[in-house]
Amino acid sequence: MDEDDLLEPDRSTAQDRRAELSLGALVFAVLALLLAMFAFVLHEGWPSFAHNGLGWFGGGGSVDQQIQAIFTSGDLKTTPVYTFHAWPLIWGTILITAGAVVIAFVSSLFVAVFLVEFSPEWLRRMLDPVVRLLASVPSIVYGLAGVLVIVPLIGNHLITETEKASVTPAIQLSGASVLAAVLILTVMIAPIMIAVFADGLRAVPRGWLEGSLALGINPWRTFWKVGVRTARPALIAGTVLATARALGEAIMLSLVSGGVPFAPNPADGFPIFLFEPTQTLAATIIRNGDQLDSPPMKHTLYAIAAVLLFSAAMLSLIGWAAKQPMRRYGVVA
Amino acid sequence: MELRKPPPVRRLTGYEVPSSPPSNGNGLHAAAGFRLPARLGAPSMVAIDRMQVEELSVSYGHKPAVQSVSLPIRQGEVLALIGPSGCGKTTLLRSLNRLTELTRGASLRGRITLDDVDVAHMDATALRRRVTMVFQQPNPFPMSVFDNVAYVLREQASRRPRRAAVQGAVHEALARAGLLDEMAGSLDHPALRLSGGQQQRLCIARALAANPQVLLLDEPCSALDPVSTRLIEELIAKLREDVAVVIVTHNLQQAYRVADYVAFMYLGELVEYGSAHKMFGSPREQRTKEYIGGAFG
Repeated sequence: MDEDDLLEPDRSTAQDRRAELSLGALVFAVLALLLAMFAFVLHEGWPSFAHNGLGWFGGGGSVDQQIQAIFTSGDLKTTPVYTFHAWPLIWGTILITAGAVVIAFVSSLFVAVFLVEFSPEWLRRMLDPVVRLLASVPSIVYGLAGVLVIVPLIGNHLITETEKASVTPAIQLSGASVLAAVLILTVMIAPIMIAVFADGLRAVPRGWLEGSLALGINPWRTFWKVGVRTARPALIAGTVLATARALGEAIMLSLVSGGVPFAPNPADGFPIFLFEPTQTLAATIIRNGDQLDSPPMKHTLYAIAAVLLFSAAMLSLIGWAAKQPMRRYGVVA
Repeated sequence: MELRKPPPVRRLTGYEVPSSPPSNGNGLHAAAGFRLPARLGAPSMVAIDRMQVEELSVSYGHKPAVQSVSLPIRQGEVLALIGPSGCGKTTLLRSLNRLTELTRGASLRGRITLDDVDVAHMDATALRRRVTMVFQQPNPFPMSVFDNVAYVLREQASRRPRRAAVQGAVHEALARAGLLDEMAGSLDHPALRLSGGQQQRLCIARALAANPQVLLLDEPCSALDPVSTRLIEELIAKLREDVAVVIVTHNLQQAYRVADYVAFMYLGELVEYGSAHKMFGSPREQRTKEYIGGAFG
């Protein structure tokens, strides 16, 4: 926001000025709050980063045992233990989030295009509120459905006994898995994407679409090359929003992904590694949230929170940067 | 439906209708109150029948917009559709390349042929490729100037051609629209940064890149300044050799300047159709006379 505009003394009436000042103050308050939050989380998590260095992001040892050691060291009033190698959690988060976002993006794009341009009026009128309702369903409901339906389905019907036996000493395949987490997370974030994508596609000026049709470009190509292309900023915005929600999703994922801090190993073979359980960063905070009275544990959990916060901030930044070249040609949505 | 009577003639104070129509030099008599401007170019020597509109009626829901209109569209001639707002001229224009189908509730009766083939039996996309359209509001795509023109060529090719492969055709289309010299150094500039007149000529270049047989122009100059209007009118006069041009316009002077034939529509009906000389010189119908005299509309 331009400060000169806010502080311009002449022309505006006193009332306008008051409104401008209070709105400006509000913006600064939000910014200050955001900065304070970043500073606080980073400060609280710092001991964990300082003790582990870059090893924090690497692998090594069992995360469960490390967490156990960190927790008890705080309890016994002895030298605090901070050794923590979060790679299995980071890998689990990347796998689940990326898998869900990619699947949701592709399917949401097609659904949104169909909804806006090709669906008959009566169907559109029916689907619009359904999508918005789905976008607002509490995630725990999805989690419950996942645990009661999807997880047993995968455990009992998809995973064969030989597959279970092949990884038995290392890990148990119960059905709570990367696959279940990706599927349910996809269902959870797709409605958000559909809603934002559809709004963006609807905002494409009709003149551009008609202009393309009037040149003899078929409707599908027209919508793809002019409609979707013009709505790219909305696609980015929807993806960032949905990815942020996926990153922060904790309870649902801790229910369906198995809650085992294990790094699914692609070397185990293609379908099998998707059946392996894992745990995300956000789910780790939830599962150990009752141990905050142990100072080293508290610092470790804050360190995880700092990583999540930083990822979300980077995500917004990348989204913003990706929109910049589009502005040049006047694609604004 | 019976056509309603046109509203009564309304005259501005101090507006004198000359008792004897002025002569414009070549023995033509202008209709009351209309001063004949200079015409652009001479009509082409050969006129080829391109499209035939036969007993066309279009209605939106129960509201009729065009009622049993019949007229020919010829290459080598410019046809201007004139008439007051809401008289159905844009609807007629849009039905020529089946854009009316995009409007919900639009229904169409009668027949339109392109080179003796009923357009209703043609693939809409193939038809629109041969009958392209330029709209009232300049609507260049949010891409570079080059890509705006190349878009059609790339979409027409089965595989996406390289820039070099379409460059010649893009330059040719821009040259036909009189934009190439102006745009020579700035083909990669965003099309939306151009002036309104340049944007509209870019849209014409884009419509020409498809290499159509018929070019439809829906009030192409109504959002433009006089200089840009002049440029586009000169362009239309030049284009009539290669394509059949149909232009909808509110501007009677413009219709006279660029058109070889004029169709006057009123309340969905084709009131009168004839050569520009005849329509502006000695219209047959009273309503045409009144409209051209600036009485209503």
